Amino acid sequence: MKVQVLSEVCTGHGRCYMLAPEVFGEDDRGHCQVLAPEVPSEHESQARIGAEACPEQAIEIEE
Amino acid sequence: MAETEAHLLVGVNAPDPKPAYRRRRDECPVLRTGEGGSAVISRYEDVLWALRHPEVFSSDSEAVSIGNERPLIPLQIDPPEHVKYRKLLDPVFSRKRMAILEPQVRRLAAERIEAFADRGVCDFHGELAEPLPSTVFLQLLGLPLERLPYFLELKDGIIRPEASATPVSRETTGRKIYALFEEALDARSAEPGEDLLSWMSEEEVDGRKLTREQILDICYLLLLAGLDTVTASLDCFVAYLAQHPERRRMAIERPEMLDGVIEELLRSETPVVTVLRVLKQDVTLSSVELKAGERVALLLGAADSDERSFDDPERVDFGRRPNRHLAFGGGPHRCLGSHLARMELRAVLEEFHARIPEYELAPGVQLQYSPGIRQVSELPLVWSARA
Ligand code: HEM
Ligand code: SF4
Repeated sequence: MKVQVLSEVCTGHGRCYMLAPEVFGEDDRGHCQVLAPEVPSEHESQARIGAEACPEQAIEIEE
Repeated sequence: MAETEAHLLVGVNAPDPKPAYRRRRDECPVLRTGEGGSAVISRYEDVLWALRHPEVFSSDSEAVSIGNERPLIPLQIDPPEHVKYRKLLDPVFSRKRMAILEPQVRRLAAERIEAFADRGVCDFHGELAEPLPSTVFLQLLGLPLERLPYFLELKDGIIRPEASATPVSRETTGRKIYALFEEALDARSAEPGEDLLSWMSEEEVDGRKLTREQILDICYLLLLAGLDTVTASLDCFVAYLAQHPERRRMAIERPEMLDGVIEELLRSETPVVTVLRVLKQDVTLSSVELKAGERVALLLGAADSDERSFDDPERVDFGRRPNRHLAFGGGPHRCLGSHLARMELRAVLEEFHARIPEYELAPGVQLQYSPGIRQVSELPLVWSARA
């Protein structure tokens, strides 16, 4: 699984890194930073939970 | 207005506004309330689209006017200028920075709760939800807490001048508020520390810093945007938890769920019910044509209970997934203070429940929710006090 954040769409709600701290981190502005674009399989479900929680739909997942 | 639409105006300020929200979404997703009124938008997809297109739905000073001379930063600034300010302000209000402030906030909350915990009754609104955010704000600005009564008086003078005991003009009150912020800023620049004003003065992006005037303007907006909103959220949350004991016990027994509890209550209560915009271009939403120049209200509460976007929206589900609520707005103007707000809500709920896990509404009370921002101005609670 690959994850990507569309930085021009992200506005820093912080839902993703609250719910999926192993997959998403935050930069100084509180915007999403993908920790590792290739998600290890044990974190895949966390990645989905984080991505679907984003109100801006800024996170793309490629399975 | 057509008589057939009159029933659509009823019930949005009720303790449970959801039936009224539903009628609007189903029968009139873009409701025009007649001469001079705003068009009210209530479906999730429409509201989100509007929030995300500030070039169409602008929040400049034509949309919201509250007696300020200069535009409120960043609310009344449209993109692209807007992002320059958010780049400077976002780091100041980030989750990491708020974590540094959390122990102070907890201590302030605990002190207030200790003051009534043994009494077995309190007015949750008047004794905690209302004063706490202002106490926190003074602390974060580095102002002495003895200034609280003066500060509360000024805040009400700006937000509700008509309700004040000694009517003074907004301009006079505004000047006094600026004077108080000047005092805080002088003290902070003489002795910078780990606080909001010092952070705002230091933050630099691409060689830009905020000017003194801008920092003062921002403090002014924080006072308008960051106090009553937290009060209302605390009122709404605790009113719900007082009336749903089995839900409350679940939240207390499973502390790891608290973030989910807060997000779901933010969604289901949506304490900030509407945000205002003015149209800069013609646009069509839910097949209704809107014209440039029209004023618009986005009904966040209705969006957050839209069954087109949430499964079984009227059910309160602390484990809800996904929960893309718009309680903090969305798009570029998304609430700057959301991480501060979440931290305050978490701190208060934890400190309160640690001391008072079992409580209910005082018998016979009828809760009244204020329009626009859902405060409950009297929220009497009772519990059996420790001997
Ligand atoms: C639970 C409490 C809160 C709720 C429900 C809330 C809600 C909102 C909403 C819905 C907006 C969007 C307004 C719009 O689009 O027109 C907003 C914006 C804003 N909020 Fe909050 N808010 C809360 C707490 C706070 C706090 C504590 C602060 C103070 C730091 C704050 C500061 C702001 C600012 C400055 C904006 C304007 C941001 C911009 O225009 O870029 N809010 N808030
Ligand atoms: S939830 Fe979405 S908008 Fe918020 S920080 Fe994550 S990616 Fe950005």
